[in-house]
Amino acid sequence: MKRLLISTAIAGLMGGTALAEVRIGVLVPDSGPAGLFGPSARQAAALAAEDINAAGGINGEPVELIFADVGVPPAQAVQAVQRLWRSDGVQGFVGMHDSAVRAAITGQLRGQLPYVYTAVYEGGECATGTYVTGETPAQQLAPVIPWLAENEGVSRWYLIGNDYNWPRDTNAAAQEIIAASGGTVVGEEYVPLGASDFDASLGRIRSSGADAVLVTLVGGDSVGFNIAYSAFGLDQQALRLGTLIEENTLAGIGSANANRLFASMGYFAGIDSDAARDYAARLGATFGSDAAQPNGMGESIYDGLMLLAALSNAAGSLDAAAVAAVADGTAFSSPRGEAVLDGNHVAQTIFLADGSSGAFEVVTRFDSVPSGVTCP
Amino acid sequence: MGSIVTVNLALAAGLLLVPWLGGDFLAWQIGLFLLYGVAAQGVGFAWGRGGFLPLGNALFFGLGAYGAAAVLKATEGALWVNLAAMALIALLCAALAFGIALLLFRGRMGSGPGFSLVTLALVLIAAQIAETTPALTGGFNGFSGYPPLAGLDPFGGLYPVIVALVVAVTLSLTLIERLPAGLILRGLVAQEERLELLGFAPHRVKAWAFAGSAGIGALAGSLYASHQGIVTPQAIGFMLSAELVIWAAVGGRFSPLGPLLGAVAIGWASSALRDTVAWWEVGVAAVFLLVVLLQPGGAMDLIHRGIARLGLTRRRRDAPPLPAPPSRAAAARGPLRLCDVGLSAGGIRILDRLSLALPEAGILCVIGPNGAGKTTMLNAVTARLPVQSGQITLGAVSLGGKATWQMLDHGIARKMQIPTVFGALTLRENLQLAALAGRMRGLDALRPSPLRWQTPPVARLLADPEVPLAAGLDKDAGHLPQGHRQFLELAMTLSPEPRLVMLDEPAAGMSPAETQLMVRLARDYQQQTGAAIVVIEHDMHLVDALADEVAVLHQGRTLATGSLAEVRRDPLVAAVYAGGHK
Amino acid sequence: MSSDALVLFALNATWQIAALALLALGLGLVFGLLRIMNMAHGDFVMLGAYAPVLTAQWGLPPLAAIPVCLLMVGLTALIVERLVIRHLYARMFDSLLATWALSILMREGAELAFGPQFRNVPLPFEGVTQIGTVGYPSYRLLVIGLVAAGFLALWLWYRRSLTGLKLRAMVDNPTLAEGAGINTARLSAGAFVAGCLLAGLAGLLLAPTLSVYPGMGLDALIRSFFTLIVGGLGTLEGLAVGAAVIGGLQAGLSAYLSQTAGYLGVLILAILFLWRRPDGLYRHR
Repeated sequence: MKRLLISTAIAGLMGGTALAEVRIGVLVPDSGPAGLFGPSARQAAALAAEDINAAGGINGEPVELIFADVGVPPAQAVQAVQRLWRSDGVQGFVGMHDSAVRAAITGQLRGQLPYVYTAVYEGGECATGTYVTGETPAQQLAPVIPWLAENEGVSRWYLIGNDYNWPRDTNAAAQEIIAASGGTVVGEEYVPLGASDFDASLGRIRSSGADAVLVTLVGGDSVGFNIAYSAFGLDQQALRLGTLIEENTLAGIGSANANRLFASMGYFAGIDSDAARDYAARLGATFGSDAAQPNGMGESIYDGLMLLAALSNAAGSLDAAAVAAVADGTAFSSPRGEAVLDGNHVAQTIFLADGSSGAFEVVTRFDSVPSGVTCP
Repeated sequence: MGSIVTVNLALAAGLLLVPWLGGDFLAWQIGLFLLYGVAAQGVGFAWGRGGFLPLGNALFFGLGAYGAAAVLKATEGALWVNLAAMALIALLCAALAFGIALLLFRGRMGSGPGFSLVTLALVLIAAQIAETTPALTGGFNGFSGYPPLAGLDPFGGLYPVIVALVVAVTLSLTLIERLPAGLILRGLVAQEERLELLGFAPHRVKAWAFAGSAGIGALAGSLYASHQGIVTPQAIGFMLSAELVIWAAVGGRFSPLGPLLGAVAIGWASSALRDTVAWWEVGVAAVFLLVVLLQPGGAMDLIHRGIARLGLTRRRRDAPPLPAPPSRAAAARGPLRLCDVGLSAGGIRILDRLSLALPEAGILCVIGPNGAGKTTMLNAVTARLPVQSGQITLGAVSLGGKATWQMLDHGIARKMQIPTVFGALTLRENLQLAALAGRMRGLDALRPSPLRWQTPPVARLLADPEVPLAAGLDKDAGHLPQGHRQFLELAMTLSPEPRLVMLDEPAAGMSPAETQLMVRLARDYQQQTGAAIVVIEHDMHLVDALADEVAVLHQGRTLATGSLAEVRRDPLVAAVYAGGHK
Repeated sequence: MSSDALVLFALNATWQIAALALLALGLGLVFGLLRIMNMAHGDFVMLGAYAPVLTAQWGLPPLAAIPVCLLMVGLTALIVERLVIRHLYARMFDSLLATWALSILMREGAELAFGPQFRNVPLPFEGVTQIGTVGYPSYRLLVIGLVAAGFLALWLWYRRSLTGLKLRAMVDNPTLAEGAGINTARLSAGAFVAGCLLAGLAGLLLAPTLSVYPGMGLDALIRSFFTLIVGGLGTLEGLAVGAAVIGGLQAGLSAYLSQTAGYLGVLILAILFLWRRPDGLYRHR
């Protein structure tokens, strides 16, 4: 990470003397619970900047990235955002962080700068000038639940998540999709963030007769739950589907505890495509032993930067109004594949992967899945 | 007074210059840390002044923030309604804190970590509720979509309002230090037991301090809502609570400006340097650790010492004393009676159906071998130990179920066996506190003049050329020799003009000359006021010189009463003392 | 409730209690003997939990995790005692704050040394033991057994051994103990290191059942605290009772209401105890 800091600094110095530059603020979590996505997000950003500059930059000017840690409470995160905006002169933002920070940032920007939000989230963001590449519950679940019903024969769903907005909103979407696919919800429960004891929940899952569990626990809670889940042999009874279980979380769960653990996201390190293989290879080549495990959360920054570059090139500038005028229908490509802006969200490819072996293997893909968010 | 005005004017001017010199953006940044700083001032007040450490003060900051956000959403824009509502929220938070502290401190909980842990648990509960009730608080994603206070731009008009709050709070905290309330708080930290014997209820004093701390936090929180435009559970969380403590510690908890300095310096530097200095968080933690280990007074303590070395501190001019108002202790009436009082501790019966009637006036000496229950009897009367059976009455009033701090209002004052004075305070301040005892009412704690009160007993003692107090009034009481400390404690005990004075071995550690003086002073007080004095004493010469009447205690019972000569003739007493004359 | 569910509930509650008692033991030892609230307790648990991660990384056999854990935690504790704790005996607030700073340092240090990602510690052995018709993870049963045996051994040792006697003397009256020729400075240092080692061992034992990452200590700390508050600060018996009450309450409320209710229930119970029974259920002597 330190090497990355230095190289961006040098790039900045050299670029500063030669050419005018477009500065983009990249908001990644370096600290806090999401801090483990910091390194992969920074590396994704560096590769994206390389690719944008190789393709001629943003409106013909090279892009310079300025990073800020937003793995802190919203009040401190917006301090960094304002500093990048007012002191460092960034012209647009790409951010991967939690929804509280997003709400605080849109409140500060008020549509004056284009801002791309890239994290998996609950949907519903309609602030002016805000564009979302992050997967919504509709994207992660609408094609996947019917597919699992058909191919794995599951219909009795148990929903368990942490007790906050994202899991609750995801499960609200899941309720409708499950009902539409002919399944039933046999249980729904929430545990406080930071929970470490899931025995009671596991007992309920067992007695509910569920044959599938939708897991919307996050971070360490998800790891703890999945370890205990397998220890009790529940993997024999019900498969698991996670919408925020990426490679780091799976590594924490361990291969011994991952039997029939599925995940649905827009990116996995194991996507079988040239773009994805190329991305992984370049991470290794660029960062060597410092290369972070690629994952959907970190990689999303790449998508965000690509979208921002595409928007700016289409509009001819990063002026918020100009970008807004051309936004709808803007397309870009990334290791995930092709995506198109539909409203202020993207229609994108969603992958379903099986983690049973301890590494995610993509079992199927769904192209051009709409976000399900319509803004007034 | 002059220096308070100077410091606060300088503070206001310095802060108001920030937008001119550094721009609106810097002012906005500093504004956040000023608000955190005000909340940290609240923590510093409770911890540095009240002597108890609240680990969950973000509770009040968060309640203020959520409350203000809700009010702003509901009443769009009406300035005075908003301000009134925010003041009301702060008052409610203060009342909540008052209630919590009153309940907690009234029990057996001292100022120790128990209180800290309760506040920690409370803030954990609050954060959990904030996070999991989206309908009420917006949940994890936060409560937003309300206009700022009076439509003030967080990058413009709001900043002067924040500065006004900062100056108002700093001014109030500085002023309180110079008022009786501040003196009482310092007394509380220095020597809680003496303060209680002077008729101040420690749990109420702490509750007031905690209420102030919470009210300040809530005010800061309510402006924070306008500053941020969104309130999330972090504003009511444990991490912010812990940071408030760190800022208060590093900046200096004993000074009103310290926590402000800590919050602005650390907060602003963190925000500016977190992204460029890789080891920033480690560095802050290391500094915090070093402060706790080596510099408990924080940065402000260093600054104060520097100022003192430069000789910039001004000497306070002494205002002429004012006559103190009448004491409630002097109005109490009725002889004290103990009737069948039983008291055990640790399975040992110390008072065994002790009955003793004290005279309405005059000096009673209580003697008896070690372990007879003499000091325990005083402890029973002053409610330091709970009486398990029997009755203690003062005239027609039963003292059962009353607390130590209520005794002074019943005219009972006590000098302890080991002289108990406010060691960290000067002699003058010790006497000032004693002058407030039994005389202060209601808002006197917030008026400066009661500090100038002088009571008749203290005036007489200070005027007495033999009493070694008048010369060293500005010395710390903790540095006094043992004998002088006895006279200071006597002065404080007599200051409220009690009707019943209890002296526990008043001549311990004294030279013969000092002992004679003590005898004279006790006799003088008795004659001047017609009070009753109970003296516990081993020294028979002293008993002989003092006693109008003698009571002999043995194994928790009254063995004999009468004049010293009568008691000496009593065969039972002789049998008890046969082992060796003492 | 069927008999199966009842058995399962009882086993879960036992597991909870054992885990809590194990986690709280080191904290209770340090507080009971030294009157120091070790806010970095959870971070020693974290350090212990990383031991198997490191041994696996270094290619050592799994059992080497035990000496690695003892060495790593012991050395850290020794240094911490020398540099920090030694100066804070009898300074209750200061020790609380200093160890809190220490906790941040250890957490950040672990992140720099081990990285921020989650680690998986595989179970030393897989499997489910059948108890009647209920299957229960065998590793958990082993831990329950070890905790029970450990507590019994410790209790006997504390009552019977000479060091136990010296320790009790020191708790009762440090000055007198010093006068009787007991080296209290050495004993205190030993007690602190022992408390940290117990925390490390708890981390080692529980690692296969937890998510292992630098920030895992906070949860361990908070749970240990509440156990001690209810049990009374400073006796082994109290600690066991505290673990039983907290573990039972949490398991019960979680089973019949919700996890959030369980969490809030524990917090409220802790407040009630701090308020009404600051000595816990088990009074110190």
